[in-house]
Amino acid sequence: MKTIGMDAAPVEVLLVEDSPGDVRLTREAFKDANVHVNLHVASDGAEAMDFLNREGKHSDVPRPDLILLDLNLPKKDGREVLEEIKQSPVLKSIPVVILTTSASDEDILQSYRLHANCYITKSMGLDGFLEVVKSIDTFWLSVVKLPHQPRS
Amino acid sequence: MTEKLLTRFKVPLPGLLPPLLPPQRNGSQRELVEALRESEERHRLLLDGIQNYAIFMMDAQGRILSWNAGAERIKGYTSDQIIGRSFSCFFLPEDIKRGRPLEVLRKAAVSGRCEEQGMRVRKDGSRFLANVVFTALRDSAGNLRGFSEFSHDLSESNESGAKYRGLLEAAPDAMVVVNALGEIVLLNVQAEKQFGYSRNELVGQPVKNIIPEGFAERLIADGSPTAAEAFAQLIETGIELSGRRKDGSEFPIEIMLSPLKSAEGTLVTAAIRDITARKKSEERLVKTVAELKRSNDELEQFAYVSSHDLQEPLRMVASFTQLLAKRYKGRLDPDADEFIAFAVDGCNRMQGLIHDLLTYSRAGATGKALCRVFGEDALQGALENLRITIEQSGAVVTHDPLPAISTDQTQLTQVFQNLVGNAIKYRSAELPRIHVSSTKNGDNEWIFSVRDNGLGIAPQYFEKIFVLFQRLHGRNEFEGTGIGLAICKKVLERLGGRIWVESQPQGGSTFYFALPERVEKL
Repeated sequence: MKTIGMDAAPVEVLLVEDSPGDVRLTREAFKDANVHVNLHVASDGAEAMDFLNREGKHSDVPRPDLILLDLNLPKKDGREVLEEIKQSPVLKSIPVVILTTSASDEDILQSYRLHANCYITKSMGLDGFLEVVKSIDTFWLSVVKLPHQPRS
Repeated sequence: MTEKLLTRFKVPLPGLLPPLLPPQRNGSQRELVEALRESEERHRLLLDGIQNYAIFMMDAQGRILSWNAGAERIKGYTSDQIIGRSFSCFFLPEDIKRGRPLEVLRKAAVSGRCEEQGMRVRKDGSRFLANVVFTALRDSAGNLRGFSEFSHDLSESNESGAKYRGLLEAAPDAMVVVNALGEIVLLNVQAEKQFGYSRNELVGQPVKNIIPEGFAERLIADGSPTAAEAFAQLIETGIELSGRRKDGSEFPIEIMLSPLKSAEGTLVTAAIRDITARKKSEERLVKTVAELKRSNDELEQFAYVSSHDLQEPLRMVASFTQLLAKRYKGRLDPDADEFIAFAVDGCNRMQGLIHDLLTYSRAGATGKALCRVFGEDALQGALENLRITIEQSGAVVTHDPLPAISTDQTQLTQVFQNLVGNAIKYRSAELPRIHVSSTKNGDNEWIFSVRDNGLGIAPQYFEKIFVLFQRLHGRNEFEGTGIGLAICKKVLERLGGRIWVESQPQGGSTFYFALPERVEKL
C-alpha cells in the first residue's frame, strides 16, 4: 500500500473527456490546486479502454491511480467504460470518479450500480469547478489509501 | 240497413237467447219473430255502443260467432271477415306455435273464466298489448256451448294512459316502454325515427331487436328476486349502450330508465338518446387533448434539451472568462478589466436563466408518484435551502402547524422555497417577517399561505407575476430571472392545485396556494 501524494512517485490520473475546454480547465484546476499529477487524457471511451489495456499506441503507458470519467462520450459511452473497468479483475481496483454535467437521478443511480466510486456533477462556475478538482485531490489523492499495484 | 245490422248476429247468442223458433207462418209467430228481432237489435246496439272493448262470442272450438263495433275497431276485422274463423288469428305466431289459443280456452273451460294480458295482432299485422277475459258459456245442463271474449287495448286503456302517451310523444328523446319479458309495449314517434321502424313493427317485439345487448338482460336478470328489484338497480342511471336500426346499422345510445307501475305489472320506460354526436365530440376532444399533450411534451422536451445543451458551451465561456478574470485582473488595463467583468456578469445571468428554465421545464414533467408529505417537512427543506439568504437578511420565518397531504415532496419544497425566497428578496426597509399557515377549504383542499411584510404588489400585476420571464423590477434593483413564480404555478397546476396573491403596495403580500387533499387508496 502507498499513500499517494505523500511519497515522491508522481500520481497518474486518467481523464476521459471529449471536450478540449474541459480538459484544459481540469489541467488548470490541478495547477491551481498546486497538485502535481501526470494527467493523461483519453478523448473517447474506446481510447480510454485502449489506454487501460495498454493497447495500440498506449502500449507503454502507466497504470492510472485514479480515473476521472465523463459519462457522455463519443464511440464508447462512459457507462460502458465504467462497466468494463469494474468487470475487469485487473482494472476494477482503480477508483473511478464520475465527473459529468448530468445531475439526473437516473445517471447517478446507474453509475453507482455499475460500481462507480463516486459521482460528481461539474459545477457551472469556475470557482465551483476549481473547488471540485481540489476536493478530488484532497480526498482521493491525499486522504484515502489506494491499493498499490506494482507497475509492470 | 236492417239486413246489414242483422248480419252482425248471424247466429243467435248461445245460452243467452231462446232457441230458434220452428218455422211457423201465422201472425202471432211473425210478431214473435219481430219481437225477437227487436231484442237482438237492442243487444246489438248495446254491444255496438261499447267502442272501447272488443266483445265477441266463440263456439267451443274457438270459432267466432259474433263481433261488435269495438272488436272491429280494435282488431281491425269487419264481422264479415272474421265470423266463422278461429280466434287464434289474434295471437302472435309464436304463441300459436306454443298452443296458447287452445290453452286459454281450456283454462276458461276448467275454471269458468280466464284473464290474461298479452300481445295481440291486428288484422294489419300490427301488435298491441291487450287485457283479455275469456268466459266459458254453459247451458242450463252445464254443457259447454262456447266462450265469450272481452278484451281491450291496454295502450288506450284509460285517461292517465292517454296522458302518459301524450307525454311520451312530447318527449324529445326516443321513448320505449318495455314489459318484464323484455317486450316493447309502447313507443313514441322519436323511437320510430331513431330506429327506422314503424310502430307496428316494434310493438310486441323483443327490445333486443333495437338494443341488442345490455338492456333486456337486465330486465330478465336471472338471480334477481323480482323484476322490480332488477329495475330498481337501473333507475336513474344513464347507461351507454348500442342501438340497432332496422337497416342493421348500430349507433351509440344512452338510456335512462324509470319504472312504471301499471295494471299490466311493472313496466320500464326507457328514454333513449342518440349520443352519436356527443361520442364524436368526445372522441375529438380526446384526440385534441392527446395532440395537445404530445405538442406540450415536445415543447417541454425541447425546453429541456435546449437548455441542457446550451449549458455546455456556456459553461466553457463562463469558466474561461472567469479564469481570465482570476488570472489577469489588474494585469491588462482598466478597460480589459471592465470588459471581462461584463462578460462574466452576462455569463452568470445566462447561467441563472438556463438553470431556472431547466427547473421550469422539469416542473411539468410527470414526477414521482405522490406520497404522504408533511407540510412542515417540505417547509423545513425549503428553509434549509434558503439558510444563507435567511441568515444574511435576518428574516424571521414562522409557521402554524401544517397538514400532511398527498403530494410530491420535492415540488412542494420548491414552491415554499420560491415563495419564501421571494418574500425575503422583495423585502421592505423593515426586518422581513414571513408567516406560513394553512386552512382547510371545504372537504377537498388545503390552502397554504405565505405572508410577508415586504414591498407588496400593485393589483394590476397579480396575474402577470406568474407568467414566465415577467418581472416587476429592473435588474439593477433585484436579481432574478422571472421564472420562480412561473415554476410555482406550473408545479401546483401539475399537482392539481392553483396559486394566487393578495397584496397592496407597501402593505406586504400574501401568496396563497391550494392543493387538493387526495384520499389515498391504499
